[in-house]
Amino acid sequence: MDPYLKPDPREPRRARDKKEPPGRSRAVFAGLRALVILLFGILIIQLVRLQVIQGDEFAQRAEINALREVQIPSTRGLILDRQGRPLVQNGVRYSAAVVPGDLPERGEVGVYQQIERVTGVAAEEISRKVAVSVVERGEFEPVVLKEDIEEDTALTLRELEPVTPGLRLLTEPTREYLSGPLLSHILGYVGSLSAEDYALLKDQGYLLNDYSGKTGVELTYESVLRGRPGKKLIEVDATGRELKVISERRPLDGSNLLLTVDLDLQKMVKETLEQYTSAGDNAAAVVMDIKSGDVLAMVSQPDFDNNVFSGPLEEKDLADLVNASGKPLVNHALAERYPPGSTFKTVVGSAALQEGIAATSTTITSRGYILVENEFNPNIVYRFKDWAALGPLDFYGGIAMSSDVYFYYLAGGKLDEGFRGLGEARVASYARAFGFGEPTGIDLPGESAGLVPDAQWKEETVGDPWVIGDTYNFGIGQGYLSVTPLQLITAVSAIGNGGKVLTPHLLREVQDNHGNVLERFERAVRRSVPVKSEYLAIVKEAMRQSVTKGVAKKAAVPGVEIAGKTGTAEFGPTRPDGSHETHGWFVGFAPYDDPQVAIVVFFQHGGGGSDAAPAAGHILDYYFHGPQLAAKPEDGE
Amino acid sequence: MERRAVRHFDYGLLLLAAALVAYGGLLIYSASLTAYPDGIGGLDHPLVKQVLFAVLGLGAMAMIAWADYRLFGQMAPALYALSIVTLIAVLFLGESAFGSRRWITIAGTQIQASEIAKLLTIVALARYLADRQLQITRVRTFLTSLALAVLPAALVMAEPDMGTAIIFGAIWLGMVLVAGARPQHVLMLGGFLLAAIPFAALAVLGDYQRDRIALFFNPNSDPLGGGFNILQAEISVGSGGIFGKGLTEGSQTQLDFLQTPTTDYIFSVLGEELGLVGAVVLLTLFAALLFRTLRVATMARDQFGRLLATGIAIMVLFQVFINIAVNIRLLPVTGIPLPFISQGGSSLIMLFAALGLLQSVLLRHRQIEF
Repeated sequence: MDPYLKPDPREPRRARDKKEPPGRSRAVFAGLRALVILLFGILIIQLVRLQVIQGDEFAQRAEINALREVQIPSTRGLILDRQGRPLVQNGVRYSAAVVPGDLPERGEVGVYQQIERVTGVAAEEISRKVAVSVVERGEFEPVVLKEDIEEDTALTLRELEPVTPGLRLLTEPTREYLSGPLLSHILGYVGSLSAEDYALLKDQGYLLNDYSGKTGVELTYESVLRGRPGKKLIEVDATGRELKVISERRPLDGSNLLLTVDLDLQKMVKETLEQYTSAGDNAAAVVMDIKSGDVLAMVSQPDFDNNVFSGPLEEKDLADLVNASGKPLVNHALAERYPPGSTFKTVVGSAALQEGIAATSTTITSRGYILVENEFNPNIVYRFKDWAALGPLDFYGGIAMSSDVYFYYLAGGKLDEGFRGLGEARVASYARAFGFGEPTGIDLPGESAGLVPDAQWKEETVGDPWVIGDTYNFGIGQGYLSVTPLQLITAVSAIGNGGKVLTPHLLREVQDNHGNVLERFERAVRRSVPVKSEYLAIVKEAMRQSVTKGVAKKAAVPGVEIAGKTGTAEFGPTRPDGSHETHGWFVGFAPYDDPQVAIVVFFQHGGGGSDAAPAAGHILDYYFHGPQLAAKPEDGE
Repeated sequence: MERRAVRHFDYGLLLLAAALVAYGGLLIYSASLTAYPDGIGGLDHPLVKQVLFAVLGLGAMAMIAWADYRLFGQMAPALYALSIVTLIAVLFLGESAFGSRRWITIAGTQIQASEIAKLLTIVALARYLADRQLQITRVRTFLTSLALAVLPAALVMAEPDMGTAIIFGAIWLGMVLVAGARPQHVLMLGGFLLAAIPFAALAVLGDYQRDRIALFFNPNSDPLGGGFNILQAEISVGSGGIFGKGLTEGSQTQLDFLQTPTTDYIFSVLGEELGLVGAVVLLTLFAALLFRTLRVATMARDQFGRLLATGIAIMVLFQVFINIAVNIRLLPVTGIPLPFISQGGSSLIMLFAALGLLQSVLLRHRQIEF
């Protein structure tokens, strides 16, 4: 290196300092200025991206952050009997829980011990449950420690809640059905939403952990009972704490339902059915205002207690209930169909009068059976039996004595004697006109339509042609015909009320909390039967005779003129002695001259005259003479 | 000091700094409304404290500007030793917050030692490089200067505070380049560091730093935990749009969705409440401040002054860039205050002291001419 270019160490410091910055350092400064612009340029590009291009999206996310919509539950409406007696009350069920995420960092044991002192759940057990739940469901899902705790304990926990981080008292609304099994089939119950329900209902403001009516009146009038939940829009901070209410819509509480059912009568009907049935057997009875369609009582046996659905229900208990003998969960008054037996003769009789097949004087002799030759092979002769050799009977006698032979003639005729019957098509058409083969339209879910057969139906469903024997069976309410007790009472009511097939109903009024009537159920006529009222009067008279001197004598009640018809319908396989098991029916109304009330009684195992008729008589006696029944349905309501 | 020298005092630099502190004051006020809903009620309000520190800072600036900056050059070894001792003390005696130890309490005042150390390291590096203006091309000098920066950087890293450690690196790099280091040396070092990244990621970075880097790439992996800040800061800034929601009107800020909104995340407050316009105003103020600082560097009468100004400019530039970049999800989370804006006494006083050094360099830049 050239020694002259070496810096001289003796050169004074000041002289060195005076030198201009080396050339390259200028370039470095220019580079630094450029770096400022470059780095700030990067920042501005990203800012434009966030604030201008994605600005709206982030603005939305900020809003979602800060605003929460919270539902304010509405109080579910009550259900009252026709006299305003409450049938249900709203309750609360408490559970003790812990939210792991809210527990103090090192003080969770203290919280557990506190909870142990109050609820009795051991601290170790709490600790274990929390540990499991944190792994499975995260630390913000409440861990339920004890369900359905006492109210006193709940109150203590409520006081502890604000000062015990992590402790949470959970409350759930419950329905307490005050008369339990007595009204289970009518009231139904509420339950939590299934995932499918939620998907359907969330647009109507239901929440995932919400409740809705599952069956019975609770289901039919869900929207009335539920009211409209309120909503509030709140601003929350980062921890989810409510800061202020931005807007609020008050909840609209559910309305109360005043039912047509009379609690006392219901109780009495149920007791009566229980007297006549053994455990596990089906039975049903309906008492209805014959002019308005008000259902005064509706009982299905066996029963169940709908309160079990208000608490935690074990899978197994539910299965037991579903599989129990007699299907207690099913309302047999309307959900199952049975052959109506001789009660159907009232309909066939009306049809025969209207069609000119029979008159009051039409006399047919029952020798205990009729014989019919096979249409193709006269050597084959079928024998259709009567329940007894009743001798010569006019129209009144045919119904009153419930002669099967009489109705074989009316329905199927007797060609060899030149007697033309109604034929299968006309019987079916009148059956439908009386409301069979379709749901009655009652305000309860799960109703069966029953079945009215005809030739076309048989061909399509059974695959065989309709034969004369089918018509004979049809005429006495056997064979393929099947009906629900509720259908039968509405059909026979038409005979008593001048030809109106009514829609039976359970709702009398919708009331607000103060008892003001918001809505009143109006009588609904579903059909008018195509039978002249003079003919209906004849059938009515025949039914009256059935009670006074016929097979329904056991239904008679001193002081009340009852018109009725029994049925003993065979079902099931033929027993060795040629007999069958039988359903027992009674359907009728009273008082005869100006009917007010109709009744149907059904026993799965029993006879019409021997069981159903006296049971019905018992109920009607109570209805007309019972001391407790304060208010009877008013006329012309 | 001679009166004629006073005309060299850069009032523009002071005004820019004052404007930034005032701007920051507005943001601090807004960001502390959640904690102090009644506004300024007493001396413990963050804005009041910030103003007090600014006044103290102005005093420090005046004193340092009045003194000859070369005095600090002479004291550089002692000052450097002091800063190293303080950094070590922090590691053993420091107060921790948010998982790292950064503060030491001296006479009842919490001091963030790394803030002081940054400025003192600049002074020490400037002195060392100015003394060896011609030897800097030698590898030994180059590496010694590197060691001067690496020692405090390593101590800061151990706190752990990766952001400030990076600032030390940037300061050193800028200063050696201005001092005339050979670009080959710098490139070789750069290559070496690149090659070392995989090892560094395993050995040097703590778990928390690796987590932060992982979260940066996918904050939704832990949206309520570590990723919360990242996501909420981004939402805040983005939701501000062009004009912002208005001071004190930002839902993210006022509803507590931002953590440390008066310090590391104060830019998110600005982004939300004052929008892109407010951010551009801020960056314009910083750019002006940086250009005036670099002007000081070009006007300095000696290498020491030139390097001082360069170091200060780079320190401010990188703090601004890294702080904002973290707020708008360009860089992983690292806690660096936004100069003059973030609440914090150590940082503010250090920055005013740096301004004092710059003014001192200016006041004496042409003392020889008459």
